[in-house]
Amino acid sequence: MRQKLTPFLLLLTLSSILISCTKNETASVIPITAITVKNLAADTVLGINAITGMPYSAGKYTFYSLERNEVVLNTDSASTKWDLAFAGTKILTNGGTSGTGLGGAFIYTGLFDDIKTIATDSVFKTDNAPASYAITYGSGKGWYVYDQLTSLITPLAGRVLVIRTASGKYAKLEIINYYKGGVTLPVTASDSEKLSKQRYFTFRYSFQPNGSKTF
Amino acid sequence: MKVRLLYFLFFTPICLFSQVTFVKDTIQLQGDSVVVTATRSERKLSNVTVPMTIINSRSIQQIGALRLTDILREQPGLTMTSGFGAGVQLQGLNPDYTIILINGEPLVGRTAGVLDLNRIALGNIKKIEIVKGPSSSLYGSEAMAGVINIITDATTKIPLQSSLRYGTYHTVDVGLNNSLAVKSIFYQGYYNYYSTDGYSIRPSTASRVTTPIQRLASNQQFKYNVSNNTNVLVGLRFTHEQIKNEISVSNGGTIIQSNGEEKNTDYNLSSSVNHRFSNSLKTSFRSYITQYNAVQNLLTISGLPYTDLLDHLFNRLENQTDWVVNKNLTTIVGGGAVMEGVKSSRYDSEKIRKTNTNQYVFNQWEWTPNSQLILIGGIRFDHNQTYASAWSPKASMLYKLNKQNSIRLSIGQGFKAPDFRQLYLDFTNAAAGSYSVFGTAQAQKVIGQLNTLGQIGTLYNNFYQLKALQPEYATGTHVTWEFVPNTKSFFSFQLFRNDIRNLIEVQQVGAYITGAQIFSYLNIGRAFTTGFEFEAKHQISKHFSISTAYQYLETGDKDQIAQIKSGTVYTRDVNGLSRKLNISEYVGLPNNSKHKAQLKFNYSNQNGWFGNIRALYRSKWAVNNTNGNEVYDAGDSFAKEYIALHLAVGKEYVKGFGFQFGCDNMLNYIDALNLPNLSGRTFFTTLKYQLPQKHKL
Repeated sequence: MRQKLTPFLLLLTLSSILISCTKNETASVIPITAITVKNLAADTVLGINAITGMPYSAGKYTFYSLERNEVVLNTDSASTKWDLAFAGTKILTNGGTSGTGLGGAFIYTGLFDDIKTIATDSVFKTDNAPASYAITYGSGKGWYVYDQLTSLITPLAGRVLVIRTASGKYAKLEIINYYKGGVTLPVTASDSEKLSKQRYFTFRYSFQPNGSKTF
Repeated sequence: MKVRLLYFLFFTPICLFSQVTFVKDTIQLQGDSVVVTATRSERKLSNVTVPMTIINSRSIQQIGALRLTDILREQPGLTMTSGFGAGVQLQGLNPDYTIILINGEPLVGRTAGVLDLNRIALGNIKKIEIVKGPSSSLYGSEAMAGVINIITDATTKIPLQSSLRYGTYHTVDVGLNNSLAVKSIFYQGYYNYYSTDGYSIRPSTASRVTTPIQRLASNQQFKYNVSNNTNVLVGLRFTHEQIKNEISVSNGGTIIQSNGEEKNTDYNLSSSVNHRFSNSLKTSFRSYITQYNAVQNLLTISGLPYTDLLDHLFNRLENQTDWVVNKNLTTIVGGGAVMEGVKSSRYDSEKIRKTNTNQYVFNQWEWTPNSQLILIGGIRFDHNQTYASAWSPKASMLYKLNKQNSIRLSIGQGFKAPDFRQLYLDFTNAAAGSYSVFGTAQAQKVIGQLNTLGQIGTLYNNFYQLKALQPEYATGTHVTWEFVPNTKSFFSFQLFRNDIRNLIEVQQVGAYITGAQIFSYLNIGRAFTTGFEFEAKHQISKHFSISTAYQYLETGDKDQIAQIKSGTVYTRDVNGLSRKLNISEYVGLPNNSKHKAQLKFNYSNQNGWFGNIRALYRSKWAVNNTNGNEVYDAGDSFAKEYIALHLAVGKEYVKGFGFQFGCDNMLNYIDALNLPNLSGRTFFTTLKYQLPQKHKL
């Protein structure tokens, strides 16, 4: 009896899901799916300066459009074509002192999937270089921690960057990893490997093109 | 060159040591030894109401232990820690919470709460007594997890003993004991020289896991029996260590090499006058002065000098009176005053000594209503100048069900006073982001001044909550069942729980305009440690005995547990996506292993031959919060479980020479990062000599 009932129940559940989904779709028109971006190089380390002993890089941001899910050319840095700019652990939004757009952001503590709607009383911060940035950087202050003992950078779990794009639309973004290939290096990796494989972002995000704060 | 000279000097005069006491029962069932630490008065171990371990000089010598670390690491319930020297963790509580005494007087000179146990040489030690559980009702601050009391004896029977040991890494240890007994005057002197080249995991590098060290120690004790009822004791202890530092600091991938030297000097002067008025009344006056001075001078490769100074001075006067009211009731009452001060280059001025005074009284009653039951109740009050006062009560009982079975129960409250660092630290780390840490005694004043200068960017709410620190408190409960079925076997089973509150933790209280963090200390933490210990010993045959022990330990930060349960602590799933942490993934406090076990075989015969093999197991422990969620969970990094296997064989001579051979860490287990104090496989040989003639005491 029970065995016979199970497939039937399953069918019932499935159909009700399908029905409810259809309803939702008609309400928000386009389904929001999370997009994962892997290995986004962000001003990677080129080598070690023989005189100072410090690592050096090209010193250039990688500009990214969340709306079109692509890297934006550096020549377009003064435009509203990009939403985020990455260089090491620093992430800029296209607004305030950083750009000509309407960009801003705040860091939400909680889970990516739990942000269904951005609360109406949320305050978006804008970049005010060099005093402050919408996405705070520094170990333990924003989205990552740096371990002095192991020299490794770990994105904090349960942190979501809630972003207002250059065009004033909304996105939510979770940084997953900071190392090439999307896997944090083992503690025992050499210092040179830790340097050469860092500054590669893996993140996922959802972008709401209709301008609403609901995902 | 210097080393060789010393080597030569000490080698020529016949070398040796070894207490030639052949104890009949090699199992050392401890039953009849007299102990002092549990009640601050002499009691038979079998009448002590609290959990206690005794390590006698014979077991110290038979395993070839040189430093206090060597012997404590083999005791059930104790775990050695590294970082700021070798500390001891007792039933899951950090080294800060165990007081280390020499003949009842506390050792000072802790770095970040850790007293480096390698400072203490073991050559002249009569025994070590360990009390588990809060004992502040007798010993005050620091006796929160327990007490380790190292006991030496001025009235030894052996006029001269000496020993020479040589081992791997050019480790040299030379010991000399001499004693005199003239009528009613007794003297014992002990001299020790120790040096090691240290060791390196990568032989080609200069950097050492254990740095090259030279240590000198001496201990002089006098006892004068003025009359049958009065005696005077004077002890002078001195240690000096010189450590070569070749430190590599990795800063953003750059290795900064620093060279330098660290010199630590420690002396203690204790004296007491003890008088017995009658069989039922005695009193003793004690005075104690100790100073610990540590100076580290480093020169970085860029030529920048760096000096770190710590100087701790501690003076104490104390009286204790013991009164036997009647055959069922005894009491002790005591009180004293402490004046201590610390100078440090990490305070606002290294020239000004920060001071604290403390006055205390204690009282303990021991009631023996019948031959089966002993009840003890005690309380101590500590009044302090710079932090809140503390009351420390304790109650314990021993119930002997029958000849084989007994139950011990103890409940006590212990405390640890805020230390000078937590009160006076004024430290800005220019090398790492220019963050600052200020002790609470001046945090508000200093940060307030910085604020008027316009240097402060933000002040958090907890900045306004900064106030005089309170002591950290622990309430400990221990229940022990002891079963001695016959003269050859011993079993004990103990349940323990410690609840700690008011834990002093470093918290960010604000930030500079530059964004650099500002920290201070607040009484905020709540934690617990709980578990059980099992011990068994058995004399297999006339010559063989076996002993085993196991400890199960659970620890946790109560606030973190509450946060995890409320769903506000996160971790990542296999795909790297964030999710809520389950309480089952929480592993508790770092550096704690759930399981510890040991197994030891002992051999000894009437001709003086002895041998032992000891296996010590420790399960994995959390060392680093790699996923940054501020709690230690299954996703963090752990040190691996391991077994250390040690062996020693030798012969004790009744006349003249003795020798010993040993191999520590036979399995060559190495974990340089997490166990820097466990060097690879090492060998040693010891030659010993003692004058066969004994003092008649």
